[in-house]
Amino acid sequence: MLFMPLPIILSVVLLLSTPGWAAEGEAFSDLDMNDPAALQEASRVIEEELKLASRPQTYLLIDLASGAIQIKARGVDLHRLPIAAWTVTELPRLTGAFRLTARPPVIRRKIDPSATTEQEPISLSDMPTEYRLSFNPAMILEVESAAEQGTMGWIRMASKKVWKQLRVWKQHLAGAQSPGEAPTISLTLSSEQAQSLAWSTVNGMPVVIRRPSEP
Amino acid sequence: MKRVLLLLGSVLSFGLFVALIPYSSSQLQSSIASAPQPLAVDPVVLRGLQNQYKGLKKQLAQFTPHQHYILVDTARNHLYVKRSQEIVLDAIASTGSGVVLDKPGEGNTQWVFDTPRGEFTVQSKLTHPAWVKPDWAFIEEGLMVPKNPADRVEQGVLGDYALGFGKGYFIHGTLYTRLLGKNVTHGCIRLNDDDLKSVYQLARVGTPIMIF
Repeated sequence: MLFMPLPIILSVVLLLSTPGWAAEGEAFSDLDMNDPAALQEASRVIEEELKLASRPQTYLLIDLASGAIQIKARGVDLHRLPIAAWTVTELPRLTGAFRLTARPPVIRRKIDPSATTEQEPISLSDMPTEYRLSFNPAMILEVESAAEQGTMGWIRMASKKVWKQLRVWKQHLAGAQSPGEAPTISLTLSSEQAQSLAWSTVNGMPVVIRRPSEP
Repeated sequence: MKRVLLLLGSVLSFGLFVALIPYSSSQLQSSIASAPQPLAVDPVVLRGLQNQYKGLKKQLAQFTPHQHYILVDTARNHLYVKRSQEIVLDAIASTGSGVVLDKPGEGNTQWVFDTPRGEFTVQSKLTHPAWVKPDWAFIEEGLMVPKNPADRVEQGVLGDYALGFGKGYFIHGTLYTRLLGKNVTHGCIRLNDDDLKSVYQLARVGTPIMIF
């Protein structure tokens, strides 16, 4: 009889220490729990997320380790955009939160009150498939579409890759630390995902990057 | 001259070759050397890192809404009511058209008919709401803005319920159900009658609305 209250007390203590509604957070499903560097990086990202999730806002998590962009709020994964391929410069500088200075430009149609026909609304297909986003502190996010059709498309893609590669070599020759140059992430997404990302961004939107722990 | 051209050609060909090797997501470029490096796996250190990660994950989970929350995908015009990871309701919606209208007599200022993105909360729950038409509703039709506030009120166009989430934005019903699934509104979120009733019943004042 004496020990009867013990399970009740324990239950109460457990309930208080772990709120019932506090479900397990959105885990990094690819995380290797035996990789110390990966664990450190995941913890660093969650620490950044804790600051962002405490406010009523949406934010982006560019997860290079798992190859996805997540639109998030309050730690909840609202939408996920797969990354087809990526490259990055100045990887060590991609820590902390970056804020989007301006979302991609959209050509908005104007209502003419004197016209009898209604103005066509903007849809996802009006969004750009290739664009460059700037952040504060300095960081560049280049988004390009994976679907480049035809010979001209192939030549365009090839030229861009050569140019990018030359830039990487230049940076490499100049030494890993080149403080003047902003870290740049180049993402290749499907056309729809690139448009979807452009659609969902808002000015000042914070971005956190999860870096891979090994090549 | 030939040698120079040959050398230049070789460099460019090599550059092209290297650049065209398909790169995977795990292939890093120049700065990989300074990426986070694996540590020697000391079981005590590892356990400490695992516990730190789990603790942080638990902290983050505490921000997750524990009751129903509303999720709106403005690109695909869908509204979901979710509870944790479970989708309780999946409804086709209509969201902002993104078009603009000049404000008369105010220089270059415009109304932008976007559904706002971000996190909001249900601030009011109304039954049989009347629409108090704002200025733009008259101006876009080429009409004069009425001076008498009573002339702005229109009954029966917002459906049986409306959930306000601030700055004049509402989740409400529509007479134009054929336009559901399209970006046609002035920023509000429209639903059909049945879905609107379900959202009204599931949400309460304070329910989070996450819009992207």
